[in-house]
Amino acid sequence: MSTSNIVRTFRRETSRIAHSPRYPIILTLGIVFTFVFFATLTNEGQPENLPVAVVDLDGTFLSRRLCHELDATQGVDVVAVYNNHSEARQAMQRGEIFAFYEIPQGTYNDVLQFRAPHFGLYSNTAYLLAGTLSYKQLATMGMLAAGAVQREVLRKKGYTDEALMGLIQPVEFDQHLVGNPWANYQIYLMTTLVPAVIAFIVLLHTIYLIGREREERTVRNWMRKAGNNALVAMVGKLLPYTFHYSLLLLLANLVMFGFMHFPLAGSWLMMMLASVLLIVAAQCVGVFIGGCLPEPPFAMGVGAVYGALCFSLSGFSFPVEAMPRLFNGLSLLYPIRHYYRTYCDVAIFGNGLEHCWPHICALLAFGLLGLIGTAMFARQYNAERRVA
Amino acid sequence: MIHYMQDIWDVFTAEVRRVFSNKMAMLVFFVATVIYPLVFCAIYNTEYMHNLPVALVDESRCEASKRFGHKLDAVPEVEVAYRCNTMAEAEKLMRDHKVHAIFYIPRDYGTRLAQLQTARIGVFCDMSSFYYYKNAVTGGSNLLIDEMHTIELERYGLSGITGEQATSLVQPIVYDDVKLYNPAGGFGSFFIPALLMLVIHQTLFFGIGIMAGEANENRRSLHLIPAHLRGRSIHRVTAGRALCFILLYIPITLFVLWLVPHWFHLPQLGRLSDLMLFLLPFILATTFLGMSFGNFFVREKMSGVLCCLFFSVMLFFMSGVVWPQCAMPRFWLALSYLFPSTPGIQGFIRISSMGADLVAVRSQYIALWIQAGAYFVTSCLSLRFIKKYRKP
Repeated sequence: MSTSNIVRTFRRETSRIAHSPRYPIILTLGIVFTFVFFATLTNEGQPENLPVAVVDLDGTFLSRRLCHELDATQGVDVVAVYNNHSEARQAMQRGEIFAFYEIPQGTYNDVLQFRAPHFGLYSNTAYLLAGTLSYKQLATMGMLAAGAVQREVLRKKGYTDEALMGLIQPVEFDQHLVGNPWANYQIYLMTTLVPAVIAFIVLLHTIYLIGREREERTVRNWMRKAGNNALVAMVGKLLPYTFHYSLLLLLANLVMFGFMHFPLAGSWLMMMLASVLLIVAAQCVGVFIGGCLPEPPFAMGVGAVYGALCFSLSGFSFPVEAMPRLFNGLSLLYPIRHYYRTYCDVAIFGNGLEHCWPHICALLAFGLLGLIGTAMFARQYNAERRVA
Repeated sequence: MIHYMQDIWDVFTAEVRRVFSNKMAMLVFFVATVIYPLVFCAIYNTEYMHNLPVALVDESRCEASKRFGHKLDAVPEVEVAYRCNTMAEAEKLMRDHKVHAIFYIPRDYGTRLAQLQTARIGVFCDMSSFYYYKNAVTGGSNLLIDEMHTIELERYGLSGITGEQATSLVQPIVYDDVKLYNPAGGFGSFFIPALLMLVIHQTLFFGIGIMAGEANENRRSLHLIPAHLRGRSIHRVTAGRALCFILLYIPITLFVLWLVPHWFHLPQLGRLSDLMLFLLPFILATTFLGMSFGNFFVREKMSGVLCCLFFSVMLFFMSGVVWPQCAMPRFWLALSYLFPSTPGIQGFIRISSMGADLVAVRSQYIALWIQAGAYFVTSCLSLRFIKKYRKP
C-alpha cells in the first residue's frame, strides 16, 4: 500500500469533485438545513402555550376562578370554555385542544359540604408529547387547587400557615435531571438526530460514489490510479469525504456543545473521536454494501432500507431494550447506536475511555465490514478484467 | 370527449407498463411498502417500557421510608433493581447504565415526618432518553401522591380529624383521569400511524422520482409523451399517469393504513369510507408533487434517493405529531404545508386514531385538495419544461 498511489487517487477524486460538485454541495446544504431546522423548530426547549379548555358545568365563581388560575398556569393556554362535554370532545378531534377539565354541576356546593366533587381530566394521548405535557400541567394545577381548598378549610379550623404546609405537603420530590437539567427537548433531539442524519447521508453518498464509477465504467481508470490495489483505491477515493463530513459533524457538535451550551460533562476529545469514527464507520458500511452488490440502483435501495431504520434503532427515543429481542441485536449493526451510547457516557455522565471503550471498539469494528466490501469489490474487478 | 378518454387510457397503459418494467420502482412500490410498515410495527409493538431499573438509597431506614420502598417496587413503571447503602454506590450503578434513576431518601426523612414538616425525597434521572425520565417521573409521582395521602391521613388523625371528614380533606377534589385515543399512553399507538402515512408519502414520491430519473437518464423523457399531446393537451398526460398511481395505491394504502393497524391492534376508530375519501386528494397531491419534482430536478434515478431521503426525518417532525404545530415557528409551519405529508398525517391520525369524520378534518382535507390542484398545474408545467429544454 503505497502513499503516492493514495495521493494519486485522492487527487483524482478531488478533481472529480471540482468538475461536478453538484451532489457534495446539495448534501452539505442538506446537512446545514437539517441543523437549522432542528435548532429553530424546538428552540423553546419544551412546547409552550399548549391549547387546553374547560367544560364548566358548575358556572359558579369557584369554577370561574379555577379557569383563571388555569389560564395563568405556565405551559398551557385556555383557548375555550365550553358548556357541554361533546363540544370539547369535538374540539379535541379537530385538534384544537390537547386536554380539558370538566367541572361538574354542583361543585361549589360539594366543596362547601365536604363532599369531594369529581373533576374529569381528559387528555389526548394520540399526540403523546403534547397530550402528556398538557395533562401534566393540568394535573399540577389541580393539585394546587385541591391544596387551596384544604388550606381554606384548615385555616378556618385555626391552623397556622406553618403547620399547614406540613399537613398539605408532607412529602415532596427533589428532582435532579442528569445530563439535561431543564428537560430540554432540543438537547435530547439534536445531539443524536443531527449525527444520525449526517451518518445516513455519508452512507448513501458512499454507495452512490462506488455505483457511479461502475455506471460510468471508470472503475478501470480508478483502479489504475491506485496501482490496481482495491484498498488504496477505496481509501484514496473516500478520504476527501471523510475529511469533509468529519469536519461538518465536528462543527455541528461545536455549535451544539459550545455556542448552544448543551451540557457536556466529559471530554471534548472523546466526542471528537466518536464523531470521526462515526463518519468512518458509516463509510465502511457504504463500502460493504456498494462493494458487495454490483448493481448500483439495487445497492442504493439496500442502503436506503438499511439506513432508514437508523433513527429508530439508535434507541434515543424509544429505548432499544424495550424493543423485541431481534432488534436488540440488529441495533448493533448501526454505527449511530454506538455513537449514541458513547454520547450518553461522555456527555451525560462524564465517563472516560475506561467506560466507553466497548462502543469505540464497536465503531472500529465496522472497519472489518469495509475490508470485506473492498475485497468483494476487488474480486469482482479482477474477474471482469480476466473476461475482458 | 371520446378522444380525451382515449388519450388518457393510452397514457395510462403506457405508464403501467413503465412501472412494471422498472426494477427499482417496483422495489419501492411493492417491497418497501410491505417491509417498512411491518418492521416499524415490530419495533414499536411493545408500546411501553415496564420495570425501568432504578436504585433505592434509604439512609433513613424508618418505617415510612421502608413503606415507600415497598410501594416503589410495586409501581409498574419502575423496578427497584438495587438497594444501595450510599449515594456513591448508586451513582456508580447509574454511570454503568445498570439503573436509569435513583430514589434517594435522606437521613432526616423520618425525623422531618415526625416533626410534621415537609420531608424530601431526591430523584435523580438519567436523561439520555426521555423515556427513562418519563417512566421514573410518572411512576414516582403516582407513588408520591399515594404516599402523601397516607401521611396526611395519619397527621389528621393525630389532630383529631378522622373518618369521612379526613378523607374529604385529603382529597377535596377527586380527579378522574381519562386518557383519550391512546388510553395506555403507548409509544407505538402514537408513533406508528404517522410513520405509516409517511411510508405512503415517501414511497410514492421516490417511486415517481426514480421513474422520472430513469427516463431522463436514457433521454427518453420526450418519447414518453405521445406526439399529438405535446402541446395544449399535455395535461392529459399528467392525468393518465396519475390514474396509474391512484389505482396502484388503492391496494397499497388498504394494506398499509387499514390491514396493518388492524393486525397490530393500533387504534382504529374511523370509518373506512372516510379514510378512503380522505386519501384520494392525499395520493393525488403526492403523485403530482413527485412528478413535478422528478421532471424538474431528477436527472438520474439514484439522485432522488441520495439527496432527499434524509428529508423524511424532517417531514416527520414538520407534521406536528411530536412537536405540536402550535409550538412551531411560523416559518416551518408554513413550509410544512407545502408537503402533503403534513395535512395527510394530521388527518389520518384524527380519522384513524381519534375516530373523526371528514367534517372534523375539513381544514386538512381542503389543504390537500388545494395542494393537489397546485401540483397538478406544476406537473403539467414540468412536462413543458422537459419539452423545451431537454431535446432528445
